Amino acid sequence: MKFSVFQVSRKGGREINEDRMGYCYTRGAGIFFLTDGMGGHPQGEVAAQLTLQVMAAMFQEEARPVLADVALFLTSAVTAAHRQILRYAIERNMLDAPRTTVVAAVIQDGLVSWIHCGDSRLYLVRQGELLTRTRDHSFAEHRQLGAGKPNLSERNNRHLLFTCLGSPSRPMYEVSGPVALQQGDRLLLCSDGLWSGLSDIDITYHLSQKPVSQSVPDLVESALCRAGGSSDNVTALALEWETPDNFLVSRTSTSTVQGGWNQPVQVELDDAAIDRSIEEINATIRRSVGR
Amino acid sequence: MAKVKPAPLPPDTMIGGYRVLRKVAAGGFGVVYLAVDSTGQQVAIKEYLPASLTTRVPGALAPEVPPEKLSLYRLGLKSFFEEGRALAQISHPSVVTVMNFFRENETVYMVMNYLEGASLQDFIVTARDLKQAKVFRESTIRSLFDEILRGLRIVHQHKMLHLDIKPANIFITDDNKSVLIDFGAAREVLSKDPNFVRPMYTPGFAAPEMYRRDAAMGPWTDIYAIGACIYACMQGYPPNEAPQRLEKDRITIALRRLRGVYSDNLIEVVEWCMSLDPLSRPQSVFALQKELSREGERHYTKLSAVEKVRLQFDTMVTDNKKNGQKAAVVSGRDK
Repeated sequence: MKFSVFQVSRKGGREINEDRMGYCYTRGAGIFFLTDGMGGHPQGEVAAQLTLQVMAAMFQEEARPVLADVALFLTSAVTAAHRQILRYAIERNMLDAPRTTVVAAVIQDGLVSWIHCGDSRLYLVRQGELLTRTRDHSFAEHRQLGAGKPNLSERNNRHLLFTCLGSPSRPMYEVSGPVALQQGDRLLLCSDGLWSGLSDIDITYHLSQKPVSQSVPDLVESALCRAGGSSDNVTALALEWETPDNFLVSRTSTSTVQGGWNQPVQVELDDAAIDRSIEEINATIRRSVGR
Repeated sequence: MAKVKPAPLPPDTMIGGYRVLRKVAAGGFGVVYLAVDSTGQQVAIKEYLPASLTTRVPGALAPEVPPEKLSLYRLGLKSFFEEGRALAQISHPSVVTVMNFFRENETVYMVMNYLEGASLQDFIVTARDLKQAKVFRESTIRSLFDEILRGLRIVHQHKMLHLDIKPANIFITDDNKSVLIDFGAAREVLSKDPNFVRPMYTPGFAAPEMYRRDAAMGPWTDIYAIGACIYACMQGYPPNEAPQRLEKDRITIALRRLRGVYSDNLIEVVEWCMSLDPLSRPQSVFALQKELSREGERHYTKLSAVEKVRLQFDTMVTDNKKNGQKAAVVSGRDK
């Protein structure tokens, strides 16, 4: 496997950057992820960070060197991240849990599969054309698709999401793929700060015209320019698929993964996990009774 | 060699601040006790004690788990937690309430509100022994399932499936409320857990997709079971098992017998719910509720004389098959 990858994250006009991104890989598989902590709830950046950590830890645990079942891994990793966020909130007696979106792609055996929850997107571009992109779990996008038709004012609720990680209701997520990659394919993961300022045509154009080391900074810059001083965090991670060869990374930039709330990640059901499950259930009972 | 079941906790044992009064039920997962809390309020406590994985000598508190079964035991614990999680989210009069969850005696306990009454199963058996044309009145059936469907709708809204709906798991309390109990088989709809185990099923009430490994389960799976429960309330007996139906489906004939006794609409609803093809069933509880709560005059289509004769032949054939006698004589008519 050979690919080049480039990632950029910018704070924009916000006080803090609640976006997170990163990737890791083994000889036979790679995972790329991007999370966008949500405003309106506390500590969005924590939810974004935890999700990244949980998914990375599970990937390192399970990809030896490949994952047994990619789709299964993606769903269980996202579920585990969601639970970890809820645990974080419960342990700190937070009234409201931090929340985040997530988009993550796994490449293995020349195939790419991805999962997303919320409005962080994945774009797959082949030979200058947009092959596919994820559909946001937002009312706006679902109205366009003619699916659900909640009666909400278009202006105020364009970006309102109906699912995310860390919410009290179970997150909804979609797994897509696997799609066989061809040489020259481009994959982009980005937060809404990027796509809300640019059209799909713009994004496709930039991605297909130049190497990712140029297109990613260009895309982020134009998104920041369009949004002006009040810009949201803008984050993008793109990779170009090169000849299936050895798993070599030809280009990287530093990841924005930061420390601070590192927690051991729980995968197995040990004594501590049993106690946490019980505490979680009792917390849910208290909430249900309070309703 | 037959395995000795783990012994239940003796009366007056204190667990988690509750005093055990007696064992009220037992299943593969463990034991349910009637207990009282410090204020004297009665509760039902479900103890995680899988009979196949644990042993407990009478009088002991902690179950013993052989080391080679420990991982399976922990796996089962996950399902027990799933049941707790499922129920903890839901607060609805038609769904059993979980009040507390605690760890003691090296196992786990779920405290639920204690219901006084009897299961729908008990009521069906009592009613059918009266040998009347109707097992239950149609209005009784409609209002009973209206309540149950309200609860089931909330369950589905939480993205959970019950997966073991049957008259024995529908409880009628002494103050005439119907409550959905035993979520031991309940699953997250979206669960792709690597440890996802297909739940146990109850023949007659389990939809055909429950027998297959690859089939998608959804609200329609619970809806099949609801249809089968209504069927049992009309006939007094559970319907044929799904695999049997796939071979030769006698549901339509069985329901025809009820024409004139129950309204055409109710009979059609049951047939709709019990379609073998999941896509032909009501796809949501709401769709079913709408049909079941439809007001208006009930239409009854009486059987014609010819149909009655045909049904009689049918009964003969079935009876003969059961007895294994004279089958050859009438088999020609059994088309």
